Amino acid sequence: MLNFFQLILIYSGVYAMMAIGQNCITGYTGMLSLCHAGFFCIGSYATAIMCKTMGLSFWLSLPVAAIAAGIIGFLIGVPTLRLKGDYLCIATLGLGEIIRNVATNINPVGYNSIPRVTLFGYQFASRNKLAFIVLIWVFVLIFYLLFQRLAHSRIGRAMTAVREDEVAAASNGINVTAYKIISFVLGAAVGGVAGCFQTAYTLTVQPASYTFMVSVMVLCTVVLGGMGNGKAVILGAFIIQFISYFPQLTGLTNVIPAQAKQIIFGLILVVMMIWRPQGLLGRDKFRYGDPRTFSERVSDTFRRKGKGGAV
Amino acid sequence: MRKTVAILLVLLLSIAGVYAGGSSESADSDVYKIGFIGPLTGDNANYGIRCSNAARLAIDKINAAGGVGGKTLELIAEDSEGTVDKAIAGYEKLVYSDNVVAIIGPVFTSPALAVAQRAMEDEIVMISPSATHKDVTAQARNNADGKNYVFRTVPSDALQAEVASYYFYQVLGYRKLATLYAMNDYSQGLAEGLESTFTSLGGEIVSSQTCMVGDKDFRTQLSQIKSASPEAVYIPDYTVEIAQILEQGAQLDVGPFLSSDGFSDPMVYQLAGDFTDGVVYIGPAQAEASTILTDFQAAYREAYNGDEADSFATNSYDAVNILAAAIERAGSGDRTLVRDEVAATKDFQGANGVMNFAENGDLVASQGVYHVEGTTPVYVGSFQVQNGQIVQVD
Amino acid sequence: MNTLSLYLQYIVNGITLGAIYSLIALGYTMVYGILKFINFAHGDILMVGAFTGLLVYQGLAGAAEPGAWTLLAFFIAMIISMALCAVLGVFIERVAYKPLRNANRLAPLLSAIGVSFILSNGAAWIFGTTSRRFPYPFENEPIHLGGITITPHQILVVIVSIIMMVLLAFFVNKTRMGKAMRATSLDQNTSALMGINVNRVISLTFAIGSALAAVGGMLASFDFRVYPSMGTMTGLKAFVAAVIGGIGNIQGAMIGGVLLGILEAVGAPLLHIPNGMRDTVAFAVLIIILLVKPEGILGKNEREKV
Repeated sequence: MLNFFQLILIYSGVYAMMAIGQNCITGYTGMLSLCHAGFFCIGSYATAIMCKTMGLSFWLSLPVAAIAAGIIGFLIGVPTLRLKGDYLCIATLGLGEIIRNVATNINPVGYNSIPRVTLFGYQFASRNKLAFIVLIWVFVLIFYLLFQRLAHSRIGRAMTAVREDEVAAASNGINVTAYKIISFVLGAAVGGVAGCFQTAYTLTVQPASYTFMVSVMVLCTVVLGGMGNGKAVILGAFIIQFISYFPQLTGLTNVIPAQAKQIIFGLILVVMMIWRPQGLLGRDKFRYGDPRTFSERVSDTFRRKGKGGAV
Repeated sequence: MRKTVAILLVLLLSIAGVYAGGSSESADSDVYKIGFIGPLTGDNANYGIRCSNAARLAIDKINAAGGVGGKTLELIAEDSEGTVDKAIAGYEKLVYSDNVVAIIGPVFTSPALAVAQRAMEDEIVMISPSATHKDVTAQARNNADGKNYVFRTVPSDALQAEVASYYFYQVLGYRKLATLYAMNDYSQGLAEGLESTFTSLGGEIVSSQTCMVGDKDFRTQLSQIKSASPEAVYIPDYTVEIAQILEQGAQLDVGPFLSSDGFSDPMVYQLAGDFTDGVVYIGPAQAEASTILTDFQAAYREAYNGDEADSFATNSYDAVNILAAAIERAGSGDRTLVRDEVAATKDFQGANGVMNFAENGDLVASQGVYHVEGTTPVYVGSFQVQNGQIVQVD
Repeated sequence: MNTLSLYLQYIVNGITLGAIYSLIALGYTMVYGILKFINFAHGDILMVGAFTGLLVYQGLAGAAEPGAWTLLAFFIAMIISMALCAVLGVFIERVAYKPLRNANRLAPLLSAIGVSFILSNGAAWIFGTTSRRFPYPFENEPIHLGGITITPHQILVVIVSIIMMVLLAFFVNKTRMGKAMRATSLDQNTSALMGINVNRVISLTFAIGSALAAVGGMLASFDFRVYPSMGTMTGLKAFVAAVIGGIGNIQGAMIGGVLLGILEAVGAPLLHIPNGMRDTVAFAVLIIILLVKPEGILGKNEREKV
């Protein structure tokens, strides 16, 4: 039982990393992207190929995965990021499907028996979940702090400005396209790193894992927790994994029908969106500029939405 | 305020979850728990559901006959959704929370590869009813005690493709074949196996077409195959795709078709109707003069509202029976003892005929050949390849 | 078979596939035109339509030999399925989308994903996950025209699709309600001020879109079979079709659907790559079209207002 809870912690750590990346793209800069499964896939393959085929260290694969996912993010980002809103969503959705389709056509089986991660002679065996929890959550913490720092830096403020109003941001001298690309590439890179850790734990990579549904789940994680809020997306990751594995955790798998958890998840999504469309924790309050007018603005919009929800 | 409520709610749920689970963990000493991992939801759920249904049927039958050594068997089925991470989660739950004796599954190759590695590590028997890829049983060498814990009750791709190639070339006399296969481990493994063996025999593959699992429209591929004019088309796919290909092939005047054990699912006759006429396929061998298979099929039909058992179900049924026999011989639920007994299985009489395991856990069995007349498969006999010749063994 | 007739054959096949995409794309495009959100549950309504149609058809025709009665039964089943899906569509809109009309743009999207989960898994629970065959309501003997082969069900699919689209175009362009619909898609608030009942227009949009999805689902069943997750990928493709044609534009949805169908059939052989890569071709073309003409082939270029 406690053992299974540990597994949930491992999986939610991986999802938390992906959610931090998605949050950078969707929460900070306001771009609706649906291809995190693709970046996740690239990261997983980077680890699989480097550790298994080339016999290199897992630690070396981390930066490579980040760079590879970042480069793909850059290549797709440069032309598509001038698309607005839903068009960007569709273009990225197409990209995610292309990555999976190509990976499947190259080798539908993927990789297995990938060597385990070692650190100073200590080997991370899948059986020893505590070690993995520490390993993964240390990185979640690092990324959390980095992106928290980013959000409150000049770059982060520029991203927020782009999200709030592109035209106004541009007229204030912010290079909208550049900041969109920075945000997209950073988000993609973290998604790639999440893939490395997933592979390090499961030691098997299968192209069929990186479906459109994974991207949707990551987006749900961010929205359920609270967009633009670092703590919230980590909470969201935990909740999503908790719901996904609720039947296993409670030993109910043989009692309730297999579809029940998906149906419950669907219900939670609908109810949550009606009850709290801004997510469990809502957006992070900003601590710069003119806080009063801004928070007023934020709370005003929320109040209006709250009323709208009641009608 | 709402924020606090939300967080409290989540914490409460987690605690409730942990406790509710904790209470179900009480050790039941007169029960042997057997785990099952397979897709119970998602696109490929019907294969997992068939396997778990058959396993449950086998267990009910054993329990009704007095159980194993005075104890009853209990099946705990976990959903893999056909993916690696969910299969690992199911494995964790079965092995560490439920303390099962052994695992039946996973159904598909990639989850099976992932779980096989863990099973070797944790030294617990895993019997896959349907993962056909050659790598599944390739992990025996890695283990500390040098023992193999991974078995399967389905022949590997290589074996089936070999028999298929020899049969098509030497018995049916085909020289020019085309293949149309899905990009998944099962179809690709068989198609590539056939392509290499068939060419080495002197035959020719005139067109080799791919599709994705879940594709609905095969007319482009079939048109291309038609323009290459092969003598027959080999379609080692899953049931739904096979049905589609047969129908669209008939409409475009392509054929005749040859297939694999994916064709042994009786659902194909409902989905494709008369278009199945004339298909030749390689499937599970049947022991002559044994009613185990027909008895099982009848029991399955009765237990599951007329649903028909396919080779997935049959293999799963055999897997549970082999396991139960091994537990009986071992006399306890000790995982290592059970493993030794499973490995020692000799000439087991299953629904799939006489079954033995090779040292690496692969199934050693003959392959059956079936000719479909109308919508009825007619069993031709079981075949083996010996010294470069296809031989009918019974 | 020479190359020309081979490619003609691809195009014939592509048009059939495309006609189905077009029908489904219409639902996406209508909802997007008015509410500016992607109704991810649309594909699952298609699945509900296919299941309803199949069950009603089996109830009516049973094991009857294909003939006039089975053809009639097929159309009766289609009407019942359309009606049921229309009600379902309106119900979903009321419960899951209406409370979110003023929320941020992501909220209805996620709510739609939730509905999609509920519908497809609910169907899997009730009907099981095995595929079912939709029997042809007529003799489906292939017709050979020169080097190419056409089957009657392909003709039926194309004809029914064209009829539905013509009816829809007539409704939207020539009737009062259609005019109200167009007005609402331009500006909801102003339309409300002009005395248009916006809620009724939105409900009607969902009703029509869902009814068309039911038709699409039944027509797709011949080639796709009926199973709980049949709507997911089909819906996604149809949505892509709507975007290619210009989302929010009815003619665009038709053109986009047929284009996507032809692209899927011809793309891989034309580029000499494995047919397993056809999705890559389709999505790559989608991205290229979005880059060259982000508003789609027939879409209007809307400048963002400050």
